[in-house]
Amino acid sequence: MILNDEAIAKIKERVGLYPQSKSAILPALTIAYHQVGYLNDKVYKDIADIIKVPCVEIAEAATFYTMFPKEPVGKYLIQVCHNISCALLGADSLISYLEQKLEIKKGETTRDNLFTLVTVECLGSCATAPMMQINQDYYENLTREKVDKIIEELRAKA
Amino acid sequence: MADKQNPETGGQATVTLTIDGLTVTVPRGYTVLEAARSIGINIPTFCWHPKLKPVGACRICYVEIEKFPKLQVSCATVAMDGMVVHTNTDQVKNGRRAVLEFILLNHPLDCPTCDKGGECDLQNLTFAHGLDDSRFAFQKYRFVDDDMTTTFDDKRIGPEIILNRNRCILCYKCVRANKEAFGEYDLGAYERGNITEINAAPGRQVANPFSGNLVEICPVGALTNTDWRYKIRVWLTKTTPSICNFSSSGTNILFYKEDHKNKIYRVTSRRNDDIDDGWLADITRYSYQVITSDERLIKPLIKKEGKQVPATWEEALEVIKKRLNEIKDKKGGVCIGGLASPSLDNASLYSFAKFLRRTFNSNKLDYRQDYRMLPKDTANNYSILASQPFKIAGIDDSDVIVTFATDLLREHQNEYLRVRKAFNFKKARIFVANPYAVKTADVAELEMVYKVGTDEIFINAVCLAALEENLVACPDRADLKKKIKPSSLKDAAEQCGVAPETIKIMARALAEGKKVTFIAGELLTRCRDREIIASALCNLNRLFGLNRKGQIAVLARYANSMGAVKLGISPEPVPALKKELEKIWSGLPDTEAYNTDTMLVHMKKEEINGFIIMGANPVMLYPDREFVKESLEKLDFLVVCDLYETETTALADVVLPLAGWAEYAGDYINLEGCRQHAEQALKPRFEAYPGYEILEMIADKFEKKLFSSTEERESEIDRLLKVDTTLPWPDGFVEVKTAEIEIEKDYPLALFLCDDPHHCGHLTEKANSLVNFCGEAYIEMAEEQARAYNLNEGDSVRLESPIGKIIVPLKISEHLDNQVVLVPRNFTSHPVTSLLMRKRRIDWVRISKVAE
Amino acid sequence: MKDILKAIGRAVFKTPLGFLVTLKYIFKKPVTLDYPRKKKPMAPRYRGKHYLERYDDGTERCVCCGLCAAACPADAIYMEPEENENGERRAKIYEINLLRCIFCGFCEEACPEEAIFLGQEYEFSNYDRNSFIYTKDEMLVPHPRKDNPFKRIIRRVRRVYGVEDTK
Repeated sequence: MILNDEAIAKIKERVGLYPQSKSAILPALTIAYHQVGYLNDKVYKDIADIIKVPCVEIAEAATFYTMFPKEPVGKYLIQVCHNISCALLGADSLISYLEQKLEIKKGETTRDNLFTLVTVECLGSCATAPMMQINQDYYENLTREKVDKIIEELRAKA
Repeated sequence: MADKQNPETGGQATVTLTIDGLTVTVPRGYTVLEAARSIGINIPTFCWHPKLKPVGACRICYVEIEKFPKLQVSCATVAMDGMVVHTNTDQVKNGRRAVLEFILLNHPLDCPTCDKGGECDLQNLTFAHGLDDSRFAFQKYRFVDDDMTTTFDDKRIGPEIILNRNRCILCYKCVRANKEAFGEYDLGAYERGNITEINAAPGRQVANPFSGNLVEICPVGALTNTDWRYKIRVWLTKTTPSICNFSSSGTNILFYKEDHKNKIYRVTSRRNDDIDDGWLADITRYSYQVITSDERLIKPLIKKEGKQVPATWEEALEVIKKRLNEIKDKKGGVCIGGLASPSLDNASLYSFAKFLRRTFNSNKLDYRQDYRMLPKDTANNYSILASQPFKIAGIDDSDVIVTFATDLLREHQNEYLRVRKAFNFKKARIFVANPYAVKTADVAELEMVYKVGTDEIFINAVCLAALEENLVACPDRADLKKKIKPSSLKDAAEQCGVAPETIKIMARALAEGKKVTFIAGELLTRCRDREIIASALCNLNRLFGLNRKGQIAVLARYANSMGAVKLGISPEPVPALKKELEKIWSGLPDTEAYNTDTMLVHMKKEEINGFIIMGANPVMLYPDREFVKESLEKLDFLVVCDLYETETTALADVVLPLAGWAEYAGDYINLEGCRQHAEQALKPRFEAYPGYEILEMIADKFEKKLFSSTEERESEIDRLLKVDTTLPWPDGFVEVKTAEIEIEKDYPLALFLCDDPHHCGHLTEKANSLVNFCGEAYIEMAEEQARAYNLNEGDSVRLESPIGKIIVPLKISEHLDNQVVLVPRNFTSHPVTSLLMRKRRIDWVRISKVAE
Repeated sequence: MKDILKAIGRAVFKTPLGFLVTLKYIFKKPVTLDYPRKKKPMAPRYRGKHYLERYDDGTERCVCCGLCAAACPADAIYMEPEENENGERRAKIYEINLLRCIFCGFCEEACPEEAIFLGQEYEFSNYDRNSFIYTKDEMLVPHPRKDNPFKRIIRRVRRVYGVEDTK
């Protein structure tokens, strides 16, 4: 089992909330993602064993949602919105700036396993474009200086 | 479509709508598409399948419905009163064209290499509705994987399935059929958007017993199967309607054959809603390879100085004549017996019976080769139960279904799908009672695994539950308590190891059910004490009135088991049949009648000296291998007709090559008594002859022609089939005896012989595709058991019974959870029947790990 | 006597006159060909013996789809597909019976892979009928090809997914 006892207990608790155990797939995936940091076939199998749903149903749901990374990512997952509002306000140059700064390409992880850079579709924060999400937090109205500061802070925290 | 009649929506049962100016009245609940098809208006579809719930994924079935602002998908729009539907307007045509253009965006133009070319829905519809060019000027999306097998992006996802995701148009028919209709979870749809892909479940192969259907329903060439891959173009083949020879339901099939080469290339379904719903089990789909294999017997063989040497037919027939005449002159014709396979057609079986009874005056013949301790005649409760009428389609509208002592997935795949369908569409309550856990339990409300050898006690417990809870109004129910043991539900439940509460729930369901289907199967038929269990079932039937409000039956196992009964191939036919036979033949032999079991005993005593086996392989299938072998070796003369050299032909003095079922036209009677015709697809290969011709040739040698003409034979068969062979239920409740169950010390596990879901009987081992699914025997056991013995999947296990041992690899079961092990009997390399003793009810075994 | 003289006169004076025509043709370019040694160049759209094309890397273009056989009005083409070591489809058997063939060129028209062409070759007489069944090996152009005389269509690269030849 990849999942630890705490995650298993949480998932089991969620299963009881729904009339069908199938409904617990997404909460279970979220719990597993928070523990493991990413999802893969082994995680699906674990969840399948816990909530008694065929493994394929879990894999289907997990792959449908792009918010779950499917392979190991760095400590900070940087998701930059490149949808229309952000793109108009310079998301593309921001992305290339981040690529330059972190010395990685889109979709890659830095060598020290700290940052992973990906682009995503609209995160619903168009009013404050351009924006990005790092793990669970939104960083909005970005400029190059702001990005520098954020990255420095995170580096220092790690 | 009949599935949707009489919905409980209230109001009128029908709706009337107008489609293309035609007024049509259909049952409420029909979709627009079904309504249109019912009056012959064709609407193209990709994702719609008559036996699946609609999903509306492909959108090619667009129609214009007045007062709807936009085009509607007809497959998912329910027909309503007063609807005005147009299926052929410009708007509809434009819609279809746009949908096709959209589907074709990422669809590769590799029709020349695609096996579906020529029968592809997308090809046809593009030709009919589509544009001849695409406005899409970009690169098509292409799926690439590390483990891709070919440069054309094909990927093997199962033993027989090849997937090409680029061709997939995402109709989801395969995934839906797999989950909905078959209840299998080894195929899924992953990702989203234009990179959505169909693929096998993580770490699994698509190897379920119905996987061939996925290929058949695929509207494009995304799923193709290996047996048809790159063999021939579909327009070069001809089709021949036929019947499956390896299922007792007689699923309807089509052979795709090429006449010049005399070869069958594949099998597809020929939908018959009364029987098979258009689904085929893989065993039905791939078993044609039994006939096309090159290992077939080529010439007759004659034993000369202990060795079988090839000979001509004439020589072989002469030897048969000489040796059988010797036996007849010396000891009398009654010393000659016969065993025919229940998979042969009516004509062969009937000729077989007539040959033995008329030429040798012998009543020693049977069609059952794999049952121990058979009853002598038909005056018993088991025969009554087995003769009851049964309708496969009757499962559909049952609200309570009980499967008892049967593993449907391994024995009756077609009925397995029906039970699932009743659950999916009718929300039927399903109860599964079996000595070991089975796959059918997926859809069951309650699964009851009773202790091994307590089948009759379990049934008694159900009866007792009904009495104690006062659920039934049977007038003489007080009588029942005296006839069964134990006398209280508590004791009975304790003896069979099932909680009394669950038994009560099942009894209540049986009492309340409006239409009940009760299916019993092979575990009952193969059981030594089948008579005791059948008596208990007779009581159950009487108490709940099952036969009046539904159906109760023991399902026949082989393609023509029912035909064999109805044509009197058993030693002691049903009285009504006997009368008719006497009329036709003007007299029946009154010599002693032996069934397979007693014949073998008498062979051992050298009281039967000559024996004819047609298509059967008792050495492999009879549940006591050594006993059969010894008996057959004692014979003076043994003739065996079969397609292949088998364990039984090895003992024969003369071996005759028999034609397979696709090589002659024949009638078969399925388990519901329906007579179906299979046409001849091939000319007999090599020097094989159909069974009835072989018998005719032998009879000619004895100067006693069986029939003056084919018409005579057919008319005699017709007359026999008109006889009603249903036996009357016993009056009142019957006494249920207690069975003695031997316990073997040191042998803690109960062994159940089964068929692998991909095999049936002794021939399917020759079909390559089926071997790809499962090519070797295994011992299937519960995970906990395996852990207790410190065994892992794939370990070699020594399986021992008091009389023998075999070594087989271990397979950890997904279902089993008690002290039961299953071993398939279909493999020559692992003679599991050598572990069995014919007088036993339960075969106890022990296992140990084989050191590496 | 007079007649005899007349005849002699005719022979002496008229015969050389007749040879004048012959003489005239000695100095003209001949209309016939020194056939077995020299061959007549055929019209560019002449439909002669079939040949099977290859890709530039030498793989056969023919995928044995069966459309030529389906299009053939004389039923002269027989083929059986197989899977090559890469899992691609190609012809195991590809035979054209030239005795049945009516050289209509439908096979060429039908071919979606631009694999079969009717060439300029017109010499295929033989001593027995079986030799008229041409097999795949006899029809495939050699690789690497020596000459490229019959290329009439701009040969496209292998286009399955709209991408260039993967090899």
